[in-house]
Amino acid sequence: MNIRCFQRNFSSALPPLVPIQLPSPRETHFWYILPDEVKSVALLNRYSELLSPCERENVNRMSGDQLKKRALLARALVRTTIARYQTNCEINPRSLKFKKNIYGKPEVEWHKDDNFSPPPLHFNISHTSSMIACGVTINAPIGIDVEEKQRKLKNDIIAFAQRYFSPYEIKLLTSISDPEVRRQEFIKLWTLKEAYVKALGKGFSAMPFKTFTIQFRTSTLRRFHLPGNSVSEASEVIVEASNDPGNLTNNCLVALLEVAGSHYAAICVENDEIVRGEANTPMKLTVRKTIPFVEDVCVSGTDAVLPLRGKIEQ
Amino acid sequence: MAAVREALLKRLRVNATSLSLLRNPKPSLNGLFALTFNAVHRRFSDDVMGSFLDKSEVTDRVVSVVKNFQKVDPSKGFWIAISLYRCPIMLGNRYFRKKKKKENEEVTPNAHFQNDLGLDSLDTVEVVMALEEEFGFEIPDNEADKISTINHAVEFIASHPQAK
Repeated sequence: MNIRCFQRNFSSALPPLVPIQLPSPRETHFWYILPDEVKSVALLNRYSELLSPCERENVNRMSGDQLKKRALLARALVRTTIARYQTNCEINPRSLKFKKNIYGKPEVEWHKDDNFSPPPLHFNISHTSSMIACGVTINAPIGIDVEEKQRKLKNDIIAFAQRYFSPYEIKLLTSISDPEVRRQEFIKLWTLKEAYVKALGKGFSAMPFKTFTIQFRTSTLRRFHLPGNSVSEASEVIVEASNDPGNLTNNCLVALLEVAGSHYAAICVENDEIVRGEANTPMKLTVRKTIPFVEDVCVSGTDAVLPLRGKIEQ
Repeated sequence: MAAVREALLKRLRVNATSLSLLRNPKPSLNGLFALTFNAVHRRFSDDVMGSFLDKSEVTDRVVSVVKNFQKVDPSKGFWIAISLYRCPIMLGNRYFRKKKKKENEEVTPNAHFQNDLGLDSLDTVEVVMALEEEFGFEIPDNEADKISTINHAVEFIASHPQAK
């Protein structure tokens, strides 16, 4: 891919980013981009201009055009998404700085200024070859993971599960006789576990997959439906730590969706307000499909978003 | 089973030259004999000095595991077979052969799983699992987390006496 100098007169013809209100507490924004829909070289160059020199270097270090494009779109998505949440002043996506926490999880590094109080914004990204996604919350660490629905494992699923998953999960997968259903359930479990570990932000090694279990439970609690909102009737997702069975460490809102008919997306948001064992608060979710500077479409409540597990309110 | 093991142990203790056979058990062995064989091998490994694998051998084997891993793409396999059926000339097609060669060329000892080979987190875990099978020992999660290049894998495996 040729990263040419972009022409300033062309860039001024592009519309600015559509500003968005910050998510409210317990609300999650999920943005995604489909790389195959971004073909314009001029647009890719525009995105490249938003990156820091270090990020551009990382993009160029990738082998092959597809990997470069994917890396570029991932950085462009993060920068443009965060820049939309204008608070006191307009944020230029190019001026955003990022850092990593002590475990390597990326965060925004807001500049320290008396006039500027940074929003307590949390984000997390995930990508496959055909989708790049970014989740955003306020005040609560978030982890997301997307996987292609059709993804096949190269190893045997049960052998893989026996190596990496918890006994409960192995039993669940083994009990499914249809190989295709088993494969789908595996991918769903994988994305949920990844999202959980990413939300905790301490890395794979701090929370090995075997040490916690994802369980699906149908809740018997009544839900209150506000007019105009659709509340998913799907089952609850509980995360239980293996070293403390019976003691639910369910301080997370967890949800699993099918997005764009092609991907499973898992979202995990840490939430201290949830009383242990009584996660009756649904995740308020807004899903938007975007091509930054070109179009943004809110797809919540449409066929593009299919709630699969967890209490989701769209 | 115990009697077989006893008999083997007695035999091997006397015959020191069969150590080289122990270090590289033939992959064609299978079944009960191999289980016993490996159990004996493990006992001896603790006593033998310098039971670490040679780094260049490890590199070759790791590269081979990753190359095989990339080749096995179940979702693509079917379509390649179909397209080959429809276009027998593809086998002779220079572009096709060049493309296949290029994909394998990227698997060099310096290759980065994510940046060069385009592997994601699930792929990387699958590769680690394949390496565990190849070298016959379990790689703990906190170590697996650090393996992001072929060289990392080689360093780790070559420094582990349990690697076979």
